[in-house]
Amino acid sequence: MIRFFIRISSFLGKEMTEIFRQPLLILTLVLGPFLIMSLFGLAYPDQNRALRTTFVATNPDAFQNELGLFTEAYSSTIVDQGVETDKDLALSKLALNETDLVIVIPDAPFETIQNNQQAELEVYHNEVDPFQTGYIQTIASIYVNEVNRRILQTVTEQGQADSGSLQSGLETAIAKTQELRQAVSPEDANATTQAAELEKDLTDLHENLSTFRSLASGVLVNPFSVKTSGLSGIQFTVTGFFAPSVIVLLLQHLSITFAALSIVRESRSGIMELFRVAPITAFETLVGKYLSYLFFEIVLAGIITGLAIWLLRIPILGPLQDYALAVIILLFTSLGVGFLISLISQTDTQAVQYSMLLLLASIFFSGFFLDLRLMREPITALAWSLPATYGIRMLQDVMLRGSSVPPTIFQGIALIGIVLFVVDWFLLKRKMES
Amino acid sequence: MKNDKTAENVVETQELTKSFGADVAVQSLSMYVPRGKIFGFIGPSGCGKTTTVRLLTGFYKPTSGTLSVLGKDPAAFSKSDQGKIGYLIQQFVLYPDLTVWENLNFAASFYGVSPFRRRRLNKLLDFVELSGDRNKLARDLSGGMKRRLSLAATMVHNPELLFLDEPTAGIDPILRRKFWDYFKELQADGHTLFITTQYVGEAAYCDLVGVMYEGRLLMIATPEGLRKKAYGGDVVGIKTTEGMSFEQRNQVEALPFVHGKVKVIDAQENDVIVDEASAAIPTLMEWCQAQNLNVETIEEKSPPFDDVFVKIIETEAEHD
Repeated sequence: MIRFFIRISSFLGKEMTEIFRQPLLILTLVLGPFLIMSLFGLAYPDQNRALRTTFVATNPDAFQNELGLFTEAYSSTIVDQGVETDKDLALSKLALNETDLVIVIPDAPFETIQNNQQAELEVYHNEVDPFQTGYIQTIASIYVNEVNRRILQTVTEQGQADSGSLQSGLETAIAKTQELRQAVSPEDANATTQAAELEKDLTDLHENLSTFRSLASGVLVNPFSVKTSGLSGIQFTVTGFFAPSVIVLLLQHLSITFAALSIVRESRSGIMELFRVAPITAFETLVGKYLSYLFFEIVLAGIITGLAIWLLRIPILGPLQDYALAVIILLFTSLGVGFLISLISQTDTQAVQYSMLLLLASIFFSGFFLDLRLMREPITALAWSLPATYGIRMLQDVMLRGSSVPPTIFQGIALIGIVLFVVDWFLLKRKMES
Repeated sequence: MKNDKTAENVVETQELTKSFGADVAVQSLSMYVPRGKIFGFIGPSGCGKTTTVRLLTGFYKPTSGTLSVLGKDPAAFSKSDQGKIGYLIQQFVLYPDLTVWENLNFAASFYGVSPFRRRRLNKLLDFVELSGDRNKLARDLSGGMKRRLSLAATMVHNPELLFLDEPTAGIDPILRRKFWDYFKELQADGHTLFITTQYVGEAAYCDLVGVMYEGRLLMIATPEGLRKKAYGGDVVGIKTTEGMSFEQRNQVEALPFVHGKVKVIDAQENDVIVDEASAAIPTLMEWCQAQNLNVETIEEKSPPFDDVFVKIIETEAEHD
């Protein structure tokens, strides 16, 4: 039994020494991810993209007073670049990337509405990115709602102003009705009742009109507002949101690359021949390699996490032990993937290529950029075969939501990790025996 | 081929054959290696030496035939059996980014050597004269130093039987000589060494030599026995002042202890193959005197092993 541990320790020491012999590599591994995260935070400010917008009104004189309703800045999203009367000129500016949006206001919008028809605003863009197209569609929808709201508000304010003279007319009518009621003979019960009812109706109408005039036009047009809150109560920055995903992708990639190169190099150096005739087993070899890389990467993950917390102010809202558990199981499973690559690759180059392909697949399918809930059902199977998918989910839950590691997610990644260990063991055994 | 088997043989094979598809790498190999001896396995590149070592270490399974190493079939080796064997692979397979000491330490752990091994490792480094280079990275070592480090790593677990596959390949003659000194020391410590080499001259350092050619073992003998077998007996060179006539050469060939034809070296010198040089020289001297031939020199010749090897191959070709 002691010899078992001595043989395992051979790889533990060897792999660690080889890694620590490259201080520049370690520095890159520690500082690289940290710098990437910092740059990422600097590169993407926590604001929506502002769209430079050119308005087109072919006959602006027809609604000179109302033009502001269409062109006044709506938050910081639409940046007014002026009004053009020539639509083609505006579109050519769009093609030359001198403007991001062209909004064409119809010729006689208010007449169209008065004729009981909708007036259509045309919005042009030059985007090819489906996400940017979607963003513009959303902004266009918000814009048209805002235009409608402003027009309604203007109309409402007009109505409130107009109702002022109506109210004074009503007050006169009420006074005359009172006089009428007093002039009617008390014996004429019917006439007295009718006069009283008329007075009451006029008084109610006056009160309603007062209420209408006293309400703010903004409240009348938008009686409801909305407020959204996340359970964590924290509004995350772009860096904050992506930090768990970046940590996961980096740790997965490091594990896979280290492990992928490990056995393939030994196969090519010829030492595998020695392994096969020496008293070391495939199990001991694999356990030794797993332990050495796990140890190194746990230390590395600790440093990266520390830097992220203290320098980038990325929070870990959940329990720290859950964070550690998620990182360890992610590393264990990623190493399994790496060793599998190492065992099926013939050359270093092939191993590196496979590792890069896996990184690419992880970027696209792990939920790094796109929410997994947007993915078509059969493809999610591919997503859930990647350790990064589980890792991102676990770290987002622990770091951003403040919850524990979801048990089913943990069980899923652990199962993959164990299966990979067994497969790697079998393949290495076969390699050492064949 | 007749083998002098004894109970002390650590390696024995019978009709051992290894084929890779239609290619026969080793054909009907029957041999033995006695305990405590240096067995030289000699032959040109590609003759099947490494394949034989791989069969004996259990790296390959034989296509047919039987083999026994330390009394067991290598395919059935336990970890303990594997620990009794040391194997030096032809190329340098240790880790270039580790130092001499770290590589040796790795090999020791790898073979399960106790963690209290510093003294043994130091002794090994002294043995291969690398003590002063212990902190050098393996990638910075010369070819000879790498071979010495590999040898130390092979011996780190003190194996009974060492398989050394071309340990002297590609190193200079002085270092080669030093290696053979190491091997002699290891033998003196009780190790059995199975050494492959393509340097035929190294046969002289071995106790027993096996000659391989195109996958076949042509013969096993002591270095002297090899010469004898190659030429059919001892070679005696006779140099006379007058030279031998055709008639006189025929008379020599007719002597009962002389084998084959007298080989004419030049006008004065002739080589004669005899049963036993020490017994034949006085008789040949008397014969020369009887023939009134003035003998300048008469002595036993030791042809270089390169010539011996060529002779063996030529004889084999004639048989084919």
